[in-house]
Amino acid sequence: MSIKVGIPRGMFYFDYYFLWKNFFNNLGVDVITSPKTNKDILNKGVELCVDEACLPIKIYHGHVDYLKDKVDYIFIPKMTSIHKKEYCCPKHIGLPDMIKNNIRNLPPLIDTEINLKKSHKNIKSSVFHIGKHFKKNSKTIAEAFQKAYRQYQEYIEMTTSKIIPIDINTKYKELSYITNVKKENYGRRIMVLGHSYNIYDYYINMDLISKLNKRRFDVVTAEMVKENRSREYAARLPKRMFWTHGQRIVGSAFALIEEKSISGIVYVSAFGCGLDSVLIDLIERKAKENRIPFTLLTLDEQTGEAGINTRVEAFIDMLEWRNRDEIDLSTHG
Amino acid sequence: MDKYYMGIDVGSVSTNIILMDEEKKVHYKKYFRTQGKPIEILKEGINNLVEEIGEVEILGVGATGSGRYLANIIVGADIVKNEITAHAVAGLNFNPHIRTIIEIGGQDSKIVIIRDGIVVDFAMNTVCAAGTGSFLDRQAARLGIDISDFGSLALKSKSPVRIAGRCAVFAESDMIHKQQLGHNQYDIAKGLCDALVRNYLSNVGKGKEILEPILFQGGVAANIGIKKAFEEALNMDVIVPDNYDVMGAIGAAILAQEEMKNKRKTNFRGFEILNMDYKVKGFECNGCSNKCEVVEIREKDKVLARYGDKCGKWSSLIGDNSIKLA
Repeated sequence: MSIKVGIPRGMFYFDYYFLWKNFFNNLGVDVITSPKTNKDILNKGVELCVDEACLPIKIYHGHVDYLKDKVDYIFIPKMTSIHKKEYCCPKHIGLPDMIKNNIRNLPPLIDTEINLKKSHKNIKSSVFHIGKHFKKNSKTIAEAFQKAYRQYQEYIEMTTSKIIPIDINTKYKELSYITNVKKENYGRRIMVLGHSYNIYDYYINMDLISKLNKRRFDVVTAEMVKENRSREYAARLPKRMFWTHGQRIVGSAFALIEEKSISGIVYVSAFGCGLDSVLIDLIERKAKENRIPFTLLTLDEQTGEAGINTRVEAFIDMLEWRNRDEIDLSTHG
Repeated sequence: MDKYYMGIDVGSVSTNIILMDEEKKVHYKKYFRTQGKPIEILKEGINNLVEEIGEVEILGVGATGSGRYLANIIVGADIVKNEITAHAVAGLNFNPHIRTIIEIGGQDSKIVIIRDGIVVDFAMNTVCAAGTGSFLDRQAARLGIDISDFGSLALKSKSPVRIAGRCAVFAESDMIHKQQLGHNQYDIAKGLCDALVRNYLSNVGKGKEILEPILFQGGVAANIGIKKAFEEALNMDVIVPDNYDVMGAIGAAILAQEEMKNKRKTNFRGFEILNMDYKVKGFECNGCSNKCEVVEIREKDKVLARYGDKCGKWSSLIGDNSIKLA
């Protein structure tokens, strides 16, 4: 029987799952993920985690708890920096330590630090550190990673060709790249912004993307804008954005705002997120300058959907109202 | 028989019912406390209506408020709209030049920014209810003041105390502290009004361009202390319309009138609904680990609605899964 590594379905899962999974598989290791977030996982996470953490961190605890008796290792890398001269959120950096202190009877964690702040070459030593749990030969490990990285690049190519990334695949079948792809359906787009773990976990955001699709809007996310384009726009900020997720969110938003290819922006934020407090303000101002409607949905542990529904409905009404008026104006001269 | 459009606003704290004629004139309005029993209050409200003006012909029904889907199930609505749109429609009907609407209800507060007769921006309070009607209600009770006297009491204040307004819990402890120091009720009441307004402007109104004419509506608009505090903070005039407390319901009725232009027959289930017996049952579905809290509304043996399930297993059983709320 081969060794099983558990990858909790939370936080950076939504960015790097394909990379990690393929890397482990290429090393001959099985990967097991926790199920999509559900009430049990949420409750368990809230129970285990410290009170002050944000909702996605609490949920992550629930996912780890689900996996702990089912696998030989749990993979929770310490994501310090994933880009030169940039950092991740402090909660990402502290994630493995938080987990170790909050959850009892864990299997061994693979909590290798990923720190590319000084140089992207640092990934090599991290990869060996992870790989040596399973294989001795460093060449085998390097090859397994290189192959996984190529597969990951293909995935990134797909997401930037206007296909909604990762988990959405199975939930939003019609948008999946596995089955037949309909890229643009309705001819009008809303940009859904926020950290990947808030917008691709449909339990946290109460299935926002389906709600927008039902109202006949296409959805575009930050991950669907090419990285070099996001970075180009983010670089125009007067002060350099030193969070990688922040770069992506602000840059992609600025790109689409200036291009005027979106009808509105819905920002999904977990209550108490420090990064978002900065990002939201930057984007809201830019959107206002360019007359693009913006709204914020704040998420916490509430399971009642009424609040979210009211805000989404009102936002769409407003877009349609504005749009109707613009059409009126043009016919009158 | 007189012909009217009915507007229903089922909110967290109050349920409002209005009747409006073809000229958009309000003939009947009633403001009830929801008290967590929306179905009974709806029936009571309609019963009240029949007693006061007899049975009339209903041309169309509009429902709004956080309980709008429930109202639709019980009464039968032609249009179900969110509160923000309904309030904007009613505000624009009151004064087509309006540019800002401040709405403070029981559990939420909103700002709607209107330019040239269209909504261009809006915001609602975030997850916290500090700075809403229920917060004031609670503090008035703590001070031993009737909420309807609160505003006039605040106006008597000569030197208001400063109370922290960001969080309801902090505000409460701050207020108790000020009470213990011996400040009089007037100054504390005024201090609370100022705190609520400060919180509203920095939270809901953050970054919004507030321009006159400003309309102040929702239950809290009854409080002249808050109106005064807004005027002082903004240095602008604030208008409170006559029907400030039922603007949502009026908006719903106007939307129903619009809707009926393209429809022949109203969905209104008739005044017979008064004699029907509704049973509401809540249960936890054990089909998967989501453990959804499902609500079922029955009229005798007939299931009128089921909702609350994420997957649609229960709501789709009755053939309509478009009505989903939680």
